[in-house]
Amino acid sequence: MKNLLRIATLFLVALASTLSIAAAQSAAQAAAARPGPWPKEVVEIAQHLPVQDGGRVKPLNTYAGYLLLRLNGKRSVTTPEGEKLEAMPWLLDVLFYPELAETYDAFMVQDGQAIEAIGVSVEGKKKRDRYSFRELRPGIQRLFQLANEYQAIEEKDRNTVQQQVFMLAMNVNDFMRILTHLDLARARLPVGAGDGLAQMFSGAEEVTFSQVLDHVPELRDLQLKLSREPATAAESKTIGTLLHTAADLTSGTESLALLPATGSLEAEPAWHTPADLLTVALRDSVVEPKHVEMLASLEGMARARADFAGFQREITRFQGLVVPLAEKRGEYEKVGLEVTYHELGLLGNAQVVFVLAFVLAAGLWLKPKSKLLYGLTTLAVIVPTILVTIAIVLRCMIRERPPVSTLYETLLFVTATGAITALVAELVTKQKVALSAAAVLGMIGLFVANGYEMLDKRDTMPQLVAVLDTNFWLATHVTAITIGYSAGMLAALLASLYLITKVVGFKRSEPAFHHGLGRMVYGVLCFGLIFSTVGTILGGIWANESWGRFWGWDPKENGALLICLSQLVILHCRMGGILREHGVCMATAFGGTVIAFSWFGVNLLGVGLHSYGFTSGIHTALWSYYWIQWGIVGLGGLHWYLERVRSNARREAMSNSGSRLSPAQEPMS
Amino acid sequence: MNTIVDGTLKFFSSLWLSVALLIFLALLTWLGTLEQVHTGLYEVQRKYFDSMFLVHQAGSVPIPLPGARLVMGILFINLFVGGIVRLRRGWATAGVLITHVGIVFLLVAGMVKSFYAQEGHVTLYEGEKANTYESYVRWEVAVSEDLGQGKLRELTAPEEAFHHATSATPITFAPPSLPFEIQLGRYQKNCRALPKGPMFDAPTPVIDGVFLQPQSPSTQAEQNIAGLYATLVEKQGGAKHEGILWGNEAQPWTVETGGKRYALALRRERYPMPFTLGLQDFVKEDHPRIDMPKAFSSDVVVTEDDSTRPMKISMNEPLRSKGLVVYQASWGPADAPPGTPLFSTLAVVSNPADQFPLYACIVIAIGLTLHFSRKLLRHIRSEARAS
Repeated sequence: MKNLLRIATLFLVALASTLSIAAAQSAAQAAAARPGPWPKEVVEIAQHLPVQDGGRVKPLNTYAGYLLLRLNGKRSVTTPEGEKLEAMPWLLDVLFYPELAETYDAFMVQDGQAIEAIGVSVEGKKKRDRYSFRELRPGIQRLFQLANEYQAIEEKDRNTVQQQVFMLAMNVNDFMRILTHLDLARARLPVGAGDGLAQMFSGAEEVTFSQVLDHVPELRDLQLKLSREPATAAESKTIGTLLHTAADLTSGTESLALLPATGSLEAEPAWHTPADLLTVALRDSVVEPKHVEMLASLEGMARARADFAGFQREITRFQGLVVPLAEKRGEYEKVGLEVTYHELGLLGNAQVVFVLAFVLAAGLWLKPKSKLLYGLTTLAVIVPTILVTIAIVLRCMIRERPPVSTLYETLLFVTATGAITALVAELVTKQKVALSAAAVLGMIGLFVANGYEMLDKRDTMPQLVAVLDTNFWLATHVTAITIGYSAGMLAALLASLYLITKVVGFKRSEPAFHHGLGRMVYGVLCFGLIFSTVGTILGGIWANESWGRFWGWDPKENGALLICLSQLVILHCRMGGILREHGVCMATAFGGTVIAFSWFGVNLLGVGLHSYGFTSGIHTALWSYYWIQWGIVGLGGLHWYLERVRSNARREAMSNSGSRLSPAQEPMS
Repeated sequence: MNTIVDGTLKFFSSLWLSVALLIFLALLTWLGTLEQVHTGLYEVQRKYFDSMFLVHQAGSVPIPLPGARLVMGILFINLFVGGIVRLRRGWATAGVLITHVGIVFLLVAGMVKSFYAQEGHVTLYEGEKANTYESYVRWEVAVSEDLGQGKLRELTAPEEAFHHATSATPITFAPPSLPFEIQLGRYQKNCRALPKGPMFDAPTPVIDGVFLQPQSPSTQAEQNIAGLYATLVEKQGGAKHEGILWGNEAQPWTVETGGKRYALALRRERYPMPFTLGLQDFVKEDHPRIDMPKAFSSDVVVTEDDSTRPMKISMNEPLRSKGLVVYQASWGPADAPPGTPLFSTLAVVSNPADQFPLYACIVIAIGLTLHFSRKLLRHIRSEARAS
């Protein structure tokens, strides 16, 4: 990331020259408007095109989605004409109609002061608003200057404006690279005078980039030959200019690797960009005809952009070139599934249904005897739980990994297993409490998961570092510990419900309700302890296999130990009568903060071997959760104290009158 | 007498004690986790987890606490006496008993490792061999005597022998096989050897224009470079030779006396391996087009008892041989440009309790599952009866 901005500064210089070539040569196209919305067929083909990004091959659709999310804070953009574009049509515009894409408000800026800092007017804009590249263009040089300065400041020490400027610079840099990626496909390169050149290009005055690439070895040979004779030195110089122009056009194309390598996956794992191809051609005099054909196809698309039928022919031709190659290398089989995964929007839909389930559950408590409402709530919990489970299964199939290998995936897994555990508890108890807890847990879990993705704005299916490349330990240790998190969070939620309902006097006349809830807290806690303990020890065994030590007091290990210890303390206190039902629920509600600390809190410390995952932005949410739980525990404690005072007063009054308390009136410590 | 024994047994087997110990352990774990941000893992480990007692500073308020070693020691007794020996036997407690046995086993594994394990690393470039490995953090003073014909005799003093010699008053060693006694003083856990300039005063004595500049200990303990001042006093005649030993010095300090040459060095503590490890090939593979490691592996040749065998050591797949386990730990130099020769760092661990946690985990999993399954079944039956 650090080098990106330095590169960006250099890139600006290259961009200026590239833009001047492209602008001059595509002047005729500059004012062209897109004839209409991109045809569905074209969009579908484009979505399924493979691209190598983030160390893996993924659909272009995924690439477009995360790029737009990073820039715009959402996966769609609205054109000045009011047309709403999803990520893929937007990327098609960026690649093939850059002059239009420049005008879209695709840059979300959280604080207008960042825009003022780069000398761009914010007139008519809100403090938090979107800007187009065209609006930002006058301030770009200043933007990169400032970003280079702010890069020297630690991220945690940057103020809001500095951070916003830095982030905007990163986004503008990414956007410019894609915006100019196909300048080489639009450009016509002047051949210049010379017999050799005329013979090579059949007398053409202008050639395409792919034609130049195709002839690089011959051009180099000819250049060398001509440079030896003073009489032909001018033509040699012309060849040099032609090659330089071609090289300038490839500047900045490194960020989009659309061209599969022709060798085997083992021999050539990296895909290519036009810049790579030209470098290899100039260095090793090697040009693969298939790559030339692919570039020619991209040029065909650029030429046919105003004619959708022609464009579809060209993109189909491009698809026909890259897909079989990717298939042959075994890199295409999951692309379709990944497109489907994103298109289905399972998690977004599940979130909506969980919210509905929450509303129904609230209604159920108002009309507790309504069987219809109970059935609807159950259905509204089961459906999104199935959706999340399907999403997890699809992710496992796409990644060929167990369900959990990133922090984001822990959120999905905790949500699904928590909801399933609660549904099982509901099946056993039929008290409506576990059902309601499932709705709350599902709603909050997916809200956090989707919020996490929106804040992080990066691919949620990243490659894993070497030490994590082990499906055995991911399937055992990580899965077990995540089930432990899930059960612990559910127990904390149920315990919080216990305390809140007691504090507000809900079901005061039905002690069986709270006893049942208390038993459920105990049951889920026991379930969680098994997985937390076994998961923690398995983590130690994995560490022993990887690093040669079972236990290193690393913050994440300590967090897992804290969960086990806190649960053991609660269960031993319950067994010894030190804590009773109310006390167990207070301790379990507090235990929720222990789990949150272990799950996310230790990652915020920034030390240890497990400081993984995106955590900035989580700080506020985490502390909010801590305070909510502590508040609930505090209220529970206050309630217990007041009950005890009342009970003592009653006891005193009754002993004065010679009566004894019945067992049901014992204190609730 | 019986009352005292009973009282002691009752105390050590009480549930209250279990709860108190678990809370203390949780508290130490929490405090030790937070303090790592400021003082680093190594120091925290020594202060909170490898200690019997400690004083935690809560702002300006000192709070005395039992160390994790003491807490876990008492927990071991408590678990053994209360959770195994005095636990009521029967089907109802079978799961708990099995779980407690597993946890005792885990604590034993920790104790064995704590007292008997050795950890270090061996760092090799391709083509290099080694039959020793060295500690990440511990130091030793080594005196080598040149016996001629390329032979050396070596004497070493471990860190425990001199780490307290931090003042100007030195501690003295007088090995009978050497013609001089060695005085070591002004030991610094982390320091730099710097040339003395004319514009400043040196905080420590200057020898041959060089002095040791003390540094704050690093939060990464392995980055500390120790140093000390050494004086050799010849046993015959009492002539003195003064020198500085610094852990990062490329060459040892050499002294000639009685017609013989001696070399002194402060270096990371070294341990012998029962075999020789030669690095043939180190492979570091990144994910395509990004700077993220996909895999590391070292092709090594293990030579022992005149036999050699090739082995591959990679992440999550260590080499186990003759009580040592060798892991692929790291590589370098960091940010090396393409084509630069890379070195491979292999962590070496000798731990007699290496596989104990695995067995403990299986026992604990069986115990917990048995206990809580029984409880769940009982609950379901009672619910069914009630309905």
